[in-house]
Amino acid sequence: MTTGTIFWAGQPVPFRVGETVASALMRAGIAAFGTAPTGQARAVFCGIGLCQGCLIRAEGRITEACLLPARDGLRLSPEIGGDDA
Amino acid sequence: MTQALHHDVAIAGAGIVGASVAWHLAQAGLRVAVIDAVGPAAAASGASDGAVSVASKKPGPLARLASASLLYTRDLAGQGLLAGAFHARPSYVFGQGDAEIAALDALIDKLAQIAGPVRVTGDGGAGALPGLGAAVERLVTLDGEGHMPGHKAVRAYLAAPGITPIWPARIRGLDSDDAGVTIDLGDRRLRAGHLVAALGVSTPALFPALPVQPRAGQLFVTDRGPAGTLPGSLTAAAYLVAKTDAPGVLPLPPVVIDPLTTGQFLIGSSREDHADPTRVDFATMRQLMRRAVDAFPALAERRVIRAFAGIRAAVADSLPIVGPLPGAPRITVATGFEGDGICLSALIGREVARMVQGLAPTDALATDLAALTPARFGAPLQEARA
Amino acid sequence: MRDTVLVVGAGLAGLSAATELARAGLPVLVVDQAQAVGGAIHRQPLPGVRSIASGAQKRRWAGVMAGVAAQGGRITLALGTRFGGVDHTGAVLLTGAMNRLIRPRALALALGARESVQPRPGWTLPGVETAGSLQTRLKTLAEAPAGRVLLAGSGPLLLALGAELVKLGRPPLAILEAGRPFARPLAALRLPRSYWAEAATYLTRLRLARVPILTGTHLTAIRAEGGALVAEATGGRRLTADHIALHDGIRSNDIGLPDCATLPVVRLGDCREALGARAALADGRAGGAALAARLLGRPEPAPDAELARQRAAQALLAQLYAHDGAARLADLPGDTVICRCEARTVNDLRALGPSPRARQLRLDGRFAMGPCQGRFCGDWVARLAAADNPGPDTPTPGIGAPRWPARPIAVADLLAATDETEGETR
Ligand SMILES: Cc1cc2nc3c(=O)[nH]c(=O)nc-3n(C[C@H](O)[C@H](O)[C@H](O)COP(=O)(O)OP(=O)(O)OC[C@H]3O[C@@H](n4cnc5c(N)ncnc54)[C@H](O)[C@@H]3O)c2cc1C
Ligand SMILES: Cc1cc2nc3c(=O)[nH]c(=O)nc-3n(C[C@H](O)[C@H](O)[C@H](O)COP(=O)(O)OP(=O)(O)OC[C@H]3O[C@@H](n4cnc5c(N)ncnc54)[C@H](O)[C@@H]3O)c2cc1C
Ligand code: FES
Repeated sequence: MTTGTIFWAGQPVPFRVGETVASALMRAGIAAFGTAPTGQARAVFCGIGLCQGCLIRAEGRITEACLLPARDGLRLSPEIGGDDA
Repeated sequence: MTQALHHDVAIAGAGIVGASVAWHLAQAGLRVAVIDAVGPAAAASGASDGAVSVASKKPGPLARLASASLLYTRDLAGQGLLAGAFHARPSYVFGQGDAEIAALDALIDKLAQIAGPVRVTGDGGAGALPGLGAAVERLVTLDGEGHMPGHKAVRAYLAAPGITPIWPARIRGLDSDDAGVTIDLGDRRLRAGHLVAALGVSTPALFPALPVQPRAGQLFVTDRGPAGTLPGSLTAAAYLVAKTDAPGVLPLPPVVIDPLTTGQFLIGSSREDHADPTRVDFATMRQLMRRAVDAFPALAERRVIRAFAGIRAAVADSLPIVGPLPGAPRITVATGFEGDGICLSALIGREVARMVQGLAPTDALATDLAALTPARFGAPLQEARA
Repeated sequence: MRDTVLVVGAGLAGLSAATELARAGLPVLVVDQAQAVGGAIHRQPLPGVRSIASGAQKRRWAGVMAGVAAQGGRITLALGTRFGGVDHTGAVLLTGAMNRLIRPRALALALGARESVQPRPGWTLPGVETAGSLQTRLKTLAEAPAGRVLLAGSGPLLLALGAELVKLGRPPLAILEAGRPFARPLAALRLPRSYWAEAATYLTRLRLARVPILTGTHLTAIRAEGGALVAEATGGRRLTADHIALHDGIRSNDIGLPDCATLPVVRLGDCREALGARAALADGRAGGAALAARLLGRPEPAPDAELARQRAAQALLAQLYAHDGAARLADLPGDTVICRCEARTVNDLRALGPSPRARQLRLDGRFAMGPCQGRFCGDWVARLAAADNPGPDTPTPGIGAPRWPARPIAVADLLAATDETEGETR
């Protein structure tokens, strides 16, 4: 099984090829993906791109972590407050 | 015909105009019913931007009435009634290219002539406001205007005591005589001393002789971003051209970016001759969003979560229709506000309430209000019979 | 693109429809926003990961994929590609891996189902997800999450998921099932044999692993405590878990898809009517063949009888699982979040006063106004609003009314899409 590394708020997180960012983060024990503009916690809920609960920031876009394929070196951060650096 | 009155005044239409009229009449102690086919803010008032703006008005009666309404809206907000609805904020108008730059000159002249509540507080380049993009060659900053989501105002007005809501109930026909109006709701009839018809684009269904035409405008709503990145509305000068001149060739897409208090953005708008609220298209969306992003690049990070068309009630001579119906003095119409009804609603509500009570219009506005009379389309005009 | 039929969704319905369309000679583009084909039930494992699907499931999916392969180049598959919507001119926006504005010849929408999850205090906490969400990870990773897992809600999916967790060596703490599906074994006998066989496999596996299946039990609230999740259930039960998966049935994911007069549009599978896998396969085949016939001016094939069978079976299942859970909505604490996107609560709903209209619920209440477009709150808001004002004159507000676009569209994608709607040739 091939693997790689993504970066969540600067921290390295391993992933398996074909895996979504949400899946990799959750396997690493990261269930809370930051805070929504409404103040609620961002987290996976539906897992299939419908509920919009898992939004994160990736390369200047806000996107669903559960739909985003992990890619080696991808830098990710919470929707608000984090830089992807 | 002598019949017991159910209500002193019935208002047809729970849009922002009907709601404002209802509130003003209820304040005067009258028993008011508001009838709507669907419910409050079901048509244009719930599907529009809410700029309370003088800058966008055609010079003349409309610009003067808008100035007065802006002042009055601020008063009502200050008194608490519209405090949760009206939100004072600066407005920015930007231009790119000769035609738009010229339109900005004209805007500054117009505001100086009106000498009203809206002042030019800045005239510079994109640097005048952080975060603007290359499409902003010149930026005019205005102080004194504000924003008011139509549905919030409707809610505030209708919460007043003394107003009976009647919905969903579609008015099928009207029968007026010297003593009042009989209103046919299909399954029942109501009798009121007066009827105020604030039916927006649906006006011709009951008053076929009034030349009200649908003019659709597409609106796009984004998700929430960090609030406050844009302190006020950002309007392309082409929008002023589109609104005040004959809609001919526009130099560039007439985009308006309105930041909402939620951190969302409302982006509009087109002007199309149809009445279908579901007609939205990617080509228009791309055209308006491209210019919006060129003017305010942070928008590229947002996502469009909703798109729809609001239907404005346009009148051939571009003036609203307000006043007693010729030949039916117990019926007063207030319609045809096209893209200005949110702005004008406070003032029109007050003045229509005066008309219904047989009071003279507020002095300074008498001439401008007279220009809105339905009698300008000839008399008598007949309502659709019950 | 003008000749191409666009199929959205690479699940059972979408791919079987694509096969029928291609068989009739039509070029087909299938897009799916997921990274792998399979949809909800046949979601495929990551490369190099062994599938946890049952033998029957593997055979069914192999059959579908063989059908697709047999059509060769007539079917193009674009994964990681999102369908943003179709406008009134017939233009379709795709974003993601294939970022284009196209004008297909026809559109088959096989967007599957969304899960229904009843609001409860604490259902927005991280670590609480839908059963389908957890199942999707099990299927792609063949690995269960570390820590204690609690399954709650209602419906057969909870048993399937529980059995899969057992198979992966991590039995769930318990399954809290609001209904009493085993209380009427005689009625259950009327279910098709295949349902029985499936249920028996799941139950055997769960029993062997001694997983408590508590029927007639509602999970009423969840709290975060000491890094774990504490679930309160009826009967005074309290369970501490690290993950909680909720599920209260499925509904069709037919939101943001208003009809379009300018091109033929059909809905297929769970997107048309949420009847489960067998129906989705049959509906995709029949619907694909019918659309092909319509486009090519051939006589329409007869409808598939399988659909009626599955509808009856699903109705019976619904009866077996029936419970009073929705009545609990009325007793929710006022600060319970109903609309997850906008964090709108029961109190916010009540503040709208009696008999709110759909427009008031949306504009004044901001319910169903967030980016999920009411997929997860619309049904509950409508029920709550109607329950607060029982009476013949208060129809359930249609809060989940057709919306546009079909899903949030990134402005950057909208602008970057290649425009293939003008002047294109074959
Ligand atoms: C895209 C767009 C952007 C806009 N932006 C602005 C802006 O920035 N600033 C501004 O000032 N204005 C703006 N407007 C214009 C503004 O929204 C309207 O002028 C205003 O809402 C009109 O209010 P109304 O009460 O006259 O009509 P409506 O809000 O249309 O209300 C009419 C009501 O009558 C009811 N009705 C119709 N027929 C019947 C019947 N037979 N029986 C009973 N009830 C009936 C309808 O259900 C409806 O509720 C915009 C409009 C659009 C479409
Ligand atoms: C989470 C979940 C788990 C389920 N598990 C089971 C089970 O174990 N057993 C069972 O019998 N039934 C299960 N079901 C029922 C299941 O939905 C059907 O049995 C079957 O999968 C339906 O097939 P379909 O082709 O109609 O839809 P799906 O298989 O759901 O396929 C729909 C596809 O559309 C894609 N899609 C959705 N929106 C977009 C968009 N905007 N753009 C691009 N692509 C999009 C999705 O990614 C998905 O791949 C489950 C349902 C759900 C929701
Ligand atoms: S978890 Fe629902 S969209 Fe990602």
